[in-house]
This record gives sequence, structure tokens and C-alpha cells, in this order.
Amino acid sequence: MISDARAPVRLPPLPGAIGPIRPRPRWLEFRLLGLVAVALVVGSISLGATVNGRFSLFDTQGLLIYIAALFASHAAQVLAGRRTDQILLPTVALLGGLSLLLMQRLPQDLVTQTLFGTRFGLAQVQLIWLLSALAMATTIGIVVRSDRWLRRYKYTWAAAGVGLLLLTFVFGMEINGQRLTLQLGPVSGQPSELLKVILVVFLAGYLSENRELLVEQDSRVGPLRLPPLPYLAPMVAMWAIALVIVVIQKDLGAALLFFGVFLSMLYVATARLSLVIIGLILFLLGSALMAMLITHVRTRVDIWIDPFADPLGAGFQVVQALHAFARGGLLGVGLGAGLPEIAGRPPIPEVHTDFPLAALGEELGILGVVAILGLYLVVVERGLRIGAAAADDFRSLLAIGLSLVIGLQAFIIAAGNLKVLPLTGVTLPFISYGGSSLLANALVIGLLLALSDKGVEPPPLPRVGSRWRRIGRRGAA
Amino acid sequence: MDGFLLVLWAVRLLFLGLIYLFLFRVIRALLRDLRAAAREPADRPGRLVIIESPGGEPAAGLSYGLDVITALGRDVNNAIVIDDPFASADHAVLTYRGRSWYIEDLESTNGSYVNGRRVEGVAPLGFGDELQIGQVRMRLERGLR
Repeated sequence: MISDARAPVRLPPLPGAIGPIRPRPRWLEFRLLGLVAVALVVGSISLGATVNGRFSLFDTQGLLIYIAALFASHAAQVLAGRRTDQILLPTVALLGGLSLLLMQRLPQDLVTQTLFGTRFGLAQVQLIWLLSALAMATTIGIVVRSDRWLRRYKYTWAAAGVGLLLLTFVFGMEINGQRLTLQLGPVSGQPSELLKVILVVFLAGYLSENRELLVEQDSRVGPLRLPPLPYLAPMVAMWAIALVIVVIQKDLGAALLFFGVFLSMLYVATARLSLVIIGLILFLLGSALMAMLITHVRTRVDIWIDPFADPLGAGFQVVQALHAFARGGLLGVGLGAGLPEIAGRPPIPEVHTDFPLAALGEELGILGVVAILGLYLVVVERGLRIGAAAADDFRSLLAIGLSLVIGLQAFIIAAGNLKVLPLTGVTLPFISYGGSSLLANALVIGLLLALSDKGVEPPPLPRVGSRWRRIGRRGAA
Repeated sequence: MDGFLLVLWAVRLLFLGLIYLFLFRVIRALLRDLRAAAREPADRPGRLVIIESPGGEPAAGLSYGLDVITALGRDVNNAIVIDDPFASADHAVLTYRGRSWYIEDLESTNGSYVNGRRVEGVAPLGFGDELQIGQVRMRLERGLR
């Protein structure tokens, strides 16, 4: 019997990936999706009435395809019969629907793409991306039943992330002074969107394995009680990577997002305020340094402090956005009634990627903006709840980190639009135009859905001989 | 034309209203979920799930809510009685100190095993770890919610 105990531990048999189909109704999700569909139809009628002067749907085909896809996703999840979260999908569906209405209403030639000989405008391209994102989130939410592929290969993922970053540094194309886009053959995308997911996976793995060390051991530096210094190395490395992203990629937003997510997850894992304070000090030092040394950053900060110094040049975007919010007022001017274009161009440059919140703020008013921010809060709340109910540290940290990525990103760009923070080039999750952004955020939602299913597979046993365990045995000896 | 504008205005407000109705419904569902979680006893810092038990006492699949100090062994005075020929009368004790669980082997004859390794003295036990006493295999899990 004792020799038995030394044999490798067998896990209970896993449920097969394809078993008998046992549908499980999801009435809450169904009701909420119905509400989303009604709201979107009313929104489309409002848009159509403003633009065309009669009460009819603005773009019947696009809207119906989107709504049908939502219910198809719902049906697929019912058939799969998993007990996953029922609130995430409708919430994200409403954000995506607002995005669709906005893209239908903007000038269609902002983005054009030719696929299979057909020319697609902004709204159609965005609809294709929305459908792909929906399919991706649903598939991951149904199929992923084990987190082992994320948990076990965390350093591999980290290496892949760094590789992606390096690829962008070397081969990235510079657009508007930011080196963000990576083009591989016909496919182009923004790796930083995928990178944020990889970062969360790595941090969740690293922190869940080393949490005990970070929490329980101290080394004193002056008046501060710190975790053992070697375990601070990743923190410093993270800081350095963020700085490198700012210097080489000139991507303030991604740097802010990565460092913010890192600090939040560190705090969630250790509950040590000292780490967060040190991180913030590092952050302030780094920002001050950057603002002094790098022209690109200094311009952004100057615009932030006083956009009206150069209202027709550098500050143009921000000034126009502020005017848009002001025109919106409390209730907004109505979908389709905002200033569509001046001399054939939208008044806010890059409105579909960087300033969708300003456009929605103009047309839906502050009430609309608050509702949109509320929807992001709902996503974050679900993530925190899923994390709190998760079976072990890795899943907790993963769920919390994933939802914080979306929340922080929405905060950073919303604050940039409202001149609360310097403007950065991150996208507004689920609303901005863009395939990389939509797909990466769909990946996040899919993973959250998969994590919210309780008790499909118990978390795997920690590897025997991990650092954590060695310390334990040393303590016991 | 005035009628048209009036109706349009109503449609616009209806759209905003529907978005808020959605938020209201969602928040109500969230609150219900939180209240349900709060009602469930959350005072247990962990639970022990029996994975395998050849003797049938305790039965496989059972889940015990753990107290801060939980004794395990063959003796009936233990909180979790392990009726197994390879378990000692007072075999081991699980304690919750600070924020984590520890297992202490009470110098049992056949020892306690964490993830297949024999415990000497006191050893930390993480959530998800497997504990074996005699032929009974158990897994430590978080308390429900």
C-alpha cells in the first residue's frame, strides 16, 4: 500500500469532450439577449429615422444577421449544457451592438476591404469581425474544459509573448507614429492585443506558484518590508518591458495597461500594499523620465494639459472630442444626428478606433456614456465573482486578471477621450473598430466563460518538487 | 413634421431607456447572485473531498467542511473517521493557520502522503493538493464560495 502511495497520482477520469448531448436551458441569458435585441432594433429605428426621415431599420440586413448570430451562440451554449456564466454574453452583445450601430452610421469609406471580389465598407467589415469574435468566444466557452494547456506552459507562453513583442519591434509598421501593426503575408494585426492575454496567463501562473513566498517572507530595505528580493525581479522586468514598449513602440496605452494589470494582479495575489506603492513610485519615476526624454510622450502630455494651445494641430482630436461630448449634453443629440462629417471627413480623426466613446457621447449623451461604462463594470464584476468562486489560485488570478484587462483598457481609453488621462492609442473593448482587438477580447470572454463552469475538472495537482514544496519540506525538517 | 420629431424624440429616449432597463436587469441578477452567495455558510476555510476509499468509510465522493483544527484517524473521536486498516487511531491533524492549511502527521505507523510524498512533521497543504492516509485519498478544496 505504501509503495502505492509513491506511484504517480492518478486523476479521476475526465468527462469526454463529446458525450451525450444534455441541453441545459439558460433562461436568464435568453431574456437578457431578448432585451438586447429589442434595444438594438429600437436604436436602429432611431438611427434610420434620423438619417432617412422615416421609421424603418437603418441597415436591416446587418442588424438581423448580428441578432441571429447572438441567438445562435445562445442555442449552441444551451445544447452544450455547461453551467457557465449567463450574464457575460448579453452584456458584451450589447456593447458589440452599439459598436455595429456606430459603425453603420459613420462614413463607410473609413475602412474598405475587398474580399472575394466584393468591396466591404466599415460596417460590413466590423460585422464580419463581430461575428468571428462571437464564434470564437462561444467556441472557447463550450470546448475548453481544462486549463492545463495554460497552466503548465506558462513560461512557454511568456516566451511566445516576448517573441511577438520582438517581432513587432523589428518588422512592425509605423502608423501615426506608433509601431503597433505587424503584417505577416496577407494577415495584419496588433500583437499587443494578444500580448495582454498572454501576460495575464503568465502572471496568473507565476503568482499562484510563488504566492506563498511573496506573502510570507520578508527582507528589509530601510523602513520597508519587502518580499525576498529575487522574487521582485519579475516586477522590475515588467517595468523595463513597459518602458521598452513606450520607447520603441511608442505605445503609451499598452504600457499603461500592462503595468496596471501587473500591479493589480500582484495586489490581488499578495495583498501587500508595499508592493503596489513601490510599483506606483517606479511608474511615476518612469513616466516623468519618459515625459522629459521622449518627444512623442511629451507631446501627448502637453496636449493633455492644454489641448487648446494648438486646437487645429496637435490638440485637434482632443478638442473635437471635447466638443462632441459637450454637444451631446445629458440625453445626446440622437443616433445619427451627431456631426457626421465636415468636408467629407469625420470631425474627429480616427473616430472609429480611438474615439468611439466621443461619438457615442455626442449621440447618446452623458446618460449613454454612463450606461456604457456601467456595462464594462458588469464585465469586471462577473470576472471578480468567477475568480472568487474558482477552485484554486491559478483560476482565481486568471479570471480576475482577464476581467481587469478589459476594465482597465476601457478606463484608459475612456479617460483619454475625456481628457482625464493623456490620450493613448488603445481600443475601447468591443466597441472600437478592429479585428485584433475584437478577437483578443473575445478570447478573454471565452476563457471567462470556460472558467465560470464549476467543477468540470479539478485543478491539476501541483508539480512535485516545485519551489513552493521545497520550502515546505525545508520548514518541516 | 412636428409629429415626426416628437415620435423620433420618444424613440431616442426609448433606446436609452432600454439600455438602462438592460443594466437594471443585469444588476438585479448580480445582486441576487451575491445574496445567494452570502447566504451560504462561508465560515468553512476549506473542505476535504474523498476521492478514493476502498473500505467505504468514509465513502468516496463525500465532502467534509473543515474546522480550523480537524483531526483525522481511525478512532471514533476524530472529526473525520478513517476506517482503514492502514490508518492509525490518531493519524494526522489539519490546521488552518494564517491563510493556509498545514498537515501534521501524528507519528502514525504508515504515514501521511501529500501528492505522493511522505509528510515529516508539519507540511503545508495547498488547495488542490492530494492527501493520502492509509488507502484513502482525499483532496483539499476551497470552502464553497
